[in-house]
Amino acid sequence: MLRYAINRVLFMIPTMIAISIIVFTIIQLPPGNYLESYIAELQAQGESVDPQKIAFLREYYGLDKPLIEQYVRWVGGMFVGDFGYSFEFNLPVTKVIGDRMLLTIIVSGITILFTWAIAFPIGIYSATHQYSWGDYGLSLLGFLGIAIPNFMLALVMMYLANVWFGTSIGGLMDPEFIGQPWSWAKARSVLEHSWIPVIVIGTHSTAGMIRRLRANLLDELQKQYVVTARAKGLPPRKVLFKYPLRMALNFFISDIGSILPHIISGTEITAVVLSLPTAGPMLLNALKSQDMYLAGSFLMFLALMIVIGVLVSDLALMALDPRIRLQGGVTR
Amino acid sequence: MIERAVRTVFTGLILAAALLAAGAAGAEEPPTLQLDVAAGKLPPLAQRLPKPPLIVDLKRANWTEGVYGGEMRMLMAKDRDIRMMVVYGYSRLVGYDEQLRIVPDILERVDDEGSRVFTLHLRNGHKWSDGQPFTAADFRYYWEDVVSNKELSPFGLPQALMVRGKGPRFEVLSETAIRYTWDEPNPQFLAALAGPSPLYIYRPAHYLRKFHPKYVGLEKANAQASAAGSRSWAGLHQKKDEQYRFDNPDLPTLEPWMNTTPLPSMRFVLVRNPYFHRVDASGRQLPYIDRVVVSISEEKLIPAKAGAGDVDLQARYLRFDNYTFLKQNEKRNHYKVLLWEKVLGSQIALYPNLNVDDPEWRRLMRDVRFRRALSLAINRHEINEVVYFGLGRESSNTVLQRSPLYRPEFGNAWIKFDTNAANTLLDELGLKKRDAKGIRLLPDGRPMEVVIDTSGESTEETDVLELIRDGWAKVGIALFSRPSQREVFRKRIFSGKSMMSVWSGLSNGIATPEMSPLELAPTAQEQLQWPMWGQYYENNRKGGQAPDMPEALELVDLYDAWRISATDAEREKIWLRMLDIHAQQVFTIGVVTRALQPVVVTNSLRNVPVEGIYSWDPGAYFGFYHTDTFWFDPKGRR
Repeated sequence: MLRYAINRVLFMIPTMIAISIIVFTIIQLPPGNYLESYIAELQAQGESVDPQKIAFLREYYGLDKPLIEQYVRWVGGMFVGDFGYSFEFNLPVTKVIGDRMLLTIIVSGITILFTWAIAFPIGIYSATHQYSWGDYGLSLLGFLGIAIPNFMLALVMMYLANVWFGTSIGGLMDPEFIGQPWSWAKARSVLEHSWIPVIVIGTHSTAGMIRRLRANLLDELQKQYVVTARAKGLPPRKVLFKYPLRMALNFFISDIGSILPHIISGTEITAVVLSLPTAGPMLLNALKSQDMYLAGSFLMFLALMIVIGVLVSDLALMALDPRIRLQGGVTR
Repeated sequence: MIERAVRTVFTGLILAAALLAAGAAGAEEPPTLQLDVAAGKLPPLAQRLPKPPLIVDLKRANWTEGVYGGEMRMLMAKDRDIRMMVVYGYSRLVGYDEQLRIVPDILERVDDEGSRVFTLHLRNGHKWSDGQPFTAADFRYYWEDVVSNKELSPFGLPQALMVRGKGPRFEVLSETAIRYTWDEPNPQFLAALAGPSPLYIYRPAHYLRKFHPKYVGLEKANAQASAAGSRSWAGLHQKKDEQYRFDNPDLPTLEPWMNTTPLPSMRFVLVRNPYFHRVDASGRQLPYIDRVVVSISEEKLIPAKAGAGDVDLQARYLRFDNYTFLKQNEKRNHYKVLLWEKVLGSQIALYPNLNVDDPEWRRLMRDVRFRRALSLAINRHEINEVVYFGLGRESSNTVLQRSPLYRPEFGNAWIKFDTNAANTLLDELGLKKRDAKGIRLLPDGRPMEVVIDTSGESTEETDVLELIRDGWAKVGIALFSRPSQREVFRKRIFSGKSMMSVWSGLSNGIATPEMSPLELAPTAQEQLQWPMWGQYYENNRKGGQAPDMPEALELVDLYDAWRISATDAEREKIWLRMLDIHAQQVFTIGVVTRALQPVVVTNSLRNVPVEGIYSWDPGAYFGFYHTDTFWFDPKGRR
C-alpha cells in the first residue's frame, strides 16, 4: 500500500514535466505573442503605439529569445516560487492571482456543499421510490438542470433580477467592498451576492449527481445481500444507509479527482457572464491576450490539482473499498 | 457616547472654520477638501493654484458653470483600460480645443519660431498632485536621466523628437522656461504633446529619482528592483514611470482626477487632484465631480449594464447596433443616448494588398484601372440603406467634410455605381475571357476570385461584403470572404498571403494641415494596403520592401517634405496633393462614412454636448469636451 502510494507520487513528476511542455507549446501555437496582440488591440480601438516602448518591452520580457530558452526560464523559475511575470498587469503572477483565488475557493466551496445538500436526498429518494410520481418529477427537474446551459440560466436570472428587483447581479459583493480588506461586513456582502452564482453553477452538477447516485443505488438495491438483509428483518432505513448506500458511493470518491480543479476554475463561461471576480475569467483573458506566463502558470496549477485529486481519490478508494484493495494485490 | 458628541462638535467647528477660511480667500473650496484645508493638511486654494491658473469658460451652447460633488460611474473591460482616464482627463502641455486648434493647457504659453525653436513657459507655482512643484527640473530629468540613459531608453529619442535623424538642443532658461531647438522645422512636435497618448517630455523627478542609480547609487537601485521582483533597476523605473498607463497610484500626476487603486482590481476609484491647474470663470477649482469610479466588467456585458443604468457616462464598448436596446431602456433607467459622429475616413474600407505574393494578382492590384473598376462596381447607396439605415454618407476613404482639407472631388472620386464603366476598365486590362459562370479569367486561366480577409470580429463587415459581392458579380469578379482571428489576419496580410482585406478607413478624418499626414504615406507595417513598404520605412529603410510605384514614392517624398515644413500654407499644399493622389489612385476603397457612436449620459449629468464627435486623435474621446467641467445637477433629471 505504502509502496504503491510512493510509486504514484514519483510518477507525478514526469507527468508534470510532460504537461508543462504541452502547456507551453499550446500557448505558443497561436501566431504572434503578447506584444503583437497588445498592439493589435490598441489599434482596433484607434490608439497609436510607441514603437520604442514596444521594442523595450520585447527585450525586457525576453520575447526575442528562442523558445527553448523562454521555456527553461519559466520552468526553472517555478521551482523557486517564481511563476513569471504577467505582461498584462505588469506584476508577478502570484500577486495577480492572490485575492481572486480566495473568492474562487469561497464560491466553489459553497457551490459544492450546495450540490451535495440537494443531490443526496433527492438521489436517494428517487432510487428508493423508483417510477413514482416523485421520481418522475424530480428526474424531470434534473434533466432540465442538465439540459439548460449554465450561461443561459445566468443571463435569464440576471435579466429577471434586474427587471423585478432592480438589482444588478454582476459581481460578488457590494461595490464599496471591492479592494477593501476583509471584514465581517464584507463577508456578509459576499454571502448575500453568492447565492445566484451558486445556484447557476450548481444546477448542472446537482442534476448530474442525482442521476448518478440514483443509478448506482438502484444497481445495489437489486442485489441479493439487500434482499437478505430485508428478509432478516432489519429496519428499512438501516438497510439502506448501512449497506447499499455505502456501496453506491464509490463514484462519489472518484469524483474528488475532478472536484479539485473544479474548485479553482470550472466555470469560466458562467463567471464571465456574471462578471464574477473569480479565477476563470482571468484565465480566459490571459489566454486571449497571450499573456503567456499568467496563462501557463494557471494551467500548470490546474494540472497539478488534477494530478493530486486523482491521486487522493485513488488512495481513498483503495482505503475504503476492500474489493479494490485486494484485487490490486492479486497477481494474475 | 460623550466622546462621539465631542467629536461631532469638533467636526462642526472645523467645518465652520473651513467655510470661514474659504469665504475669506474669495473662491469656494471644493467641499471634499474643506476638512483637510481646515486641519492644515492641505494649503488653501490660493496656494494650491498656479499663477495664473487656466480659466475654462467654454462658449458651447447649454454650457454652464456647475456645482461641486458627485461620483461618476463608468465601465471598462480590462484593468488596463484605466489609462482611458488619462485620455478623458486630457491635461496636456498643449491640447486641442473644440475647434481643433492647439492651445496651451498646462503651459502658460508656447513661443514657436518657425516650427524650429519652441520655448515652453510653465505656470508659476504649478504643483504635482502631491504638492511638489512642477518645474523645469522635471523636463531636465526626462532629458538627461531618462531619454539619454542607455538602459532606460536603449532605442534613443522618440520619433516625434527626431528630424531627419537628429534630435533637438535642450536648454533650461529659467525655473519655468524650457527651450527645444531643432536645425530644421519639426511640425509634429506640438501635435505629439497634444495627443491622447501624448509624448511626455517631463517626469515627476522628485518621485522617480528614488529609483534612479544616478541619485541613489547603483547598488540601492538594483536592490530595490530585486525586492520588487523586477529584473533590473531599469525595469522597476519603467514600471513606476507610467504616466499614460495610470496604474501606479504613487506616481504624481497633473490630471484632474488621480487614480487611487493599484492593479489588479475590479473597481478603480479616482479622486480629485487638489492641485489641478484649471478654474472656472468664478475662480472655483475644477473638476466639479469629486470622484470617478471605473468598474471592470465583461466587454460584451457593458451594453447591457449601460442599459440597466449602471453608468453615468459611457461610450467605449458601446456599438451602433446596441442603439435600439439602449434607447428602449432610456426612460426606465433615467439616461439619454446621444449619437456622436465618429471620424473614421470610412466606416468600412477595402485594402487591396499591393504586396501580395501571387505575381499575377500583384500586377493587377498595382494597376490603377483594376482598383478603380473594383470601386465603381460597389453599390454604396444600397449598402448605406441596408446596413446603416441610410444614416451614413457614400464616400471614398478620405477626410470628412468637417475637415478644412476636404474637397468634394476627393470624397466623390470613383464612387458612382457604374458597372458599364467598370466592365470597360476590366476589358481594357485584357481580362476579356470568362468562364461558364460569367467569371472573368486571369491571363493564366484561373478564375478571378478575390478572397477578402476579415478579422472576424463584426457581422457588419460580413454584411457589407455580402452586398459588395452582388455588385462585383455583375462585372465578372467573384468575391469570397475569409474570416479569421485578429492576429492571424494581420500575419497573413504582412506576409503577403492575403490579397485583399477589410478594415476601417483613415483613423483621423478631421485632419487639419498641422496634423501629420502619416497615414497617407507608407510609414508603418499596419497599413494594410502596403504592409511591406510600410515596414521598410518603419524600420529606417531596412526590412520589408522598398516601394517601386512612382505614386507611392511621391507620397513618401511629400510626407518627408511635410516633416520639415515651416508654414501652414506649405503644409496644406502637401496634404491636398497627398489626398489627391489617394483619391485618384484608390489605394483603399472606402464605402460609407459618418458612422455614429452611441453615448449614454445619465439625466443629471450636465455639460455633455448633445452633438459631438467621438475621436481618438485629435479629440481624446471625451477629453477635449472638458470632462473636468461636467457636473451633476442635484435637482436631478433634465
